[in-house]
Amino acid sequence: MNLCKVPVPVDEGEGDNRWISIHNRFLTESKEKDADVIFIGDSIVQALQHTDVWNELFVPLHCLNFGIHRDKIENVLWRVQNGELDHVNPKVIVLHVGTNNYSNTPEEIKDGIVEIVDLIRQKHPNVYIVVPTLLPRGQQPNPVREKLLKVNELLPTAIDGHSKVEIVKIDNGFVRADGTISHHDMYDYLLLTNSGCKKAFEPVHDLLLQLLNEGETEKELELVYSE
Amino acid sequence: MKMVLSQRQREELNKAVADYLSSNGYTDALEAFKKEADMPGEVERKFGGLLEKKWASVIRLQKKVMELESKLNEAKDEIIDGAPTRNKRTPTEWIPRPPEKFCLTGHRAPLTRVIFHPVFSLMVSASEDATIKVWDFETGEYERTLKGHQDCVQDVAFDSSGKLLVSCSADMSIKLWDFQQTFECVRTMLGHDHNVSSVSFMPGGDFVVSSSRDKTIKMWEVSTGYCVKTYTGHRDWVRMVRASPDGSLLASCSNDQSVRIWVASSRECRAELRAHDHVVECLCWAPDTAAGPINEAAGADNRKGAHAGPFLASGSRDKTIRIWDVGAGIALFVLAGHDNWVRGVVFHPGGKFLVSASDDKTLRVWDLRNKRCMKTLEAHKHFCTCLDFHKMHPYVISGSVDQTVKVWECR
Repeated sequence: MNLCKVPVPVDEGEGDNRWISIHNRFLTESKEKDADVIFIGDSIVQALQHTDVWNELFVPLHCLNFGIHRDKIENVLWRVQNGELDHVNPKVIVLHVGTNNYSNTPEEIKDGIVEIVDLIRQKHPNVYIVVPTLLPRGQQPNPVREKLLKVNELLPTAIDGHSKVEIVKIDNGFVRADGTISHHDMYDYLLLTNSGCKKAFEPVHDLLLQLLNEGETEKELELVYSE
Repeated sequence: MKMVLSQRQREELNKAVADYLSSNGYTDALEAFKKEADMPGEVERKFGGLLEKKWASVIRLQKKVMELESKLNEAKDEIIDGAPTRNKRTPTEWIPRPPEKFCLTGHRAPLTRVIFHPVFSLMVSASEDATIKVWDFETGEYERTLKGHQDCVQDVAFDSSGKLLVSCSADMSIKLWDFQQTFECVRTMLGHDHNVSSVSFMPGGDFVVSSSRDKTIKMWEVSTGYCVKTYTGHRDWVRMVRASPDGSLLASCSNDQSVRIWVASSRECRAELRAHDHVVECLCWAPDTAAGPINEAAGADNRKGAHAGPFLASGSRDKTIRIWDVGAGIALFVLAGHDNWVRGVVFHPGGKFLVSASDDKTLRVWDLRNKRCMKTLEAHKHFCTCLDFHKMHPYVISGSVDQTVKVWECR
C-alpha cells in the first residue's frame, strides 16, 4: 500500500491547528485573487515566497503560493482534493512536493507525484503543470538525498505521455565535488537562501515566461525581423 | 544563465536546426540528427531560415538595447534639468514628474483606490485593510481614518460638492460618510450578493451607482438608501461602473472582457464593446477637451468626418488601454506599452494626455494625439493599483500593493 496516494490532512500534535488554518486561508485566497500561476507543495515552495527571487521574478506574474512547511505528498493531495484548486483559473500550476516523504520508497514518491498531477489534470484539463525536480538535502551525502535523486530519475518516464506537463531540472549545482552542500545555498541544508533560490528557480521563471507568453512571443520577434 | 525551453520550443528548435543543416548541404549530419532527434520526414517550409533569423536578431536586439540605453540617459537628464520650471508650465501641458513629493505610509494592506477631494486640498485612500484614510496632499499630513467596513474597501467617490463620500467593500455593503463635520458613516446600503467592486455618484449627487461580483450594477437613492434600479447583462464580475459627465449613460467593465454602455434612466444596455482579450479592469470618461486629440489620433479611419463621442478609455489585463467612441459604439485606437495588467486610467484635465497605472509598477503618461507613451514613472515597489489626477491643481496621486500612497507634482 503506497501511503503517498492516500490523501490525509496533517495530524497536528501541537494542538494549535495551524495547518488547517493555513489551508482555510488558501481557500479564501483562491476565491479572491485571480492568479495566473499557482505554486503548490512543500517546505521548498513555502520558503520560496520569502526570497528576493520570489519578489522580483514571480510576484509580477500574478502568483499565489500554496506551500506548507513539512507537507508530504499525501497532505498536498488532501489539500488539492479539498478545494485549494477548485475556484481558480490559472495558466500554470507549479508542483514541488516529495522532499518530506523520506520514509517512502522512490517509486512510491514518484507514484504520489503522478497521482497529484493526474488530480490537477482532472480539475484543470488545459492548465500547464510544471514539476521542478526535487532538490538534494543534508550537508553530507545521505540516504534521503539518494532517494530524491532516484525520484528525479524516475519522473521523466513516469510523466511520459502526459500532455502539458513539463519537468524542469533544478537540482544541478548544489552538491559540490566533495559531496557537501553549502549553507550559502541552503541555510539549513534543506531550504534555499536567496542565491540558492536564484540557481534553482531562475530556470522555472524562464519556463513560466515562455508558457505565459505563448502566442505573444512570435509577434515580438516579427517586429524585430521587419526592422 | 541556464535556459529552459518548453516542449514546443524544443521541437521548433530541432526543426530549425534540421532546416539549417539541409539548406547548407550538411546531408550526413542532417540524416544523423533526424535519427537522433526522432524526426522523420521533411521539415516544413515555415522553418526555412528560422535559425539564421533568430541568430541575426540577437545582434539587432543588442543594437536596440544600446539605443534604448542612450535614450534612457537622455530621459534621466530631462528629469533633472530638462523639464520646464513650475511657473512656466501651463495647466494643459503639465504632467507628473519624478521624484514623488510625498510617500505616505499608514495603510496595513494593499491600496485599492486613491481620489482627490473636489474642493479642499485633501485626498482619500481606500485599502484592503478595511479602512479609508484622509490625507492633506499639499503638506503630506495624515488627517484621519474612517472605520466601519468589515472587509477590503474596494472603491471610494465624492459627490460634486465634496460633502458626502461613498465607499464600497468586499463585505457586500455600500456606505455613505458625512465629510463635512462628523466624518461618520451616515448610511449603509445592502443589496448586492457579493463583493462590491466599485461605486460612484451620479453627477446630480442624488444617486450612486455600484458594480459587483454578483454580475449586476445597482443604482441607489442617496436620501432614502433604497436600491432603485438593477442593470443586468454582464456575464461575470463587474469591475467598475462610471456615469458619463451628463449622467445619461453608465459605462461598466467586467471579467467577461466587455465594456457595456447603459442608458441610466431605462436600464437598457445600449452597447456591448468588445476588443480587449482579457479582464477589463478600469474605465474613464473623456473630458470635452480630449475630443480634438482623440479625433486626430483616430484620423486615419475617419473619412466620414469627426467622431462625435462621447469618448471612453478602458484599461485591461491584456496590458492595453483602448479608446472608444461610445456614440458610434466602436473602438478607435489602442495604447500599448505596459508590461503587465493595466489597473487605472485617468484623463489629464487638459485633454491632451491620459495617465495610467499598472502592475508593471509604473505610471505612464500617454500623448493621445500621437498614441504614444511619452513618459514612464517607476512609481512603486509593487503593483500600482490606482491613481487620480487633480482637476485644477498640478498633482497626481497613486496607490500600490506596497501599501503606500504617493503624491506626484506636475511640471
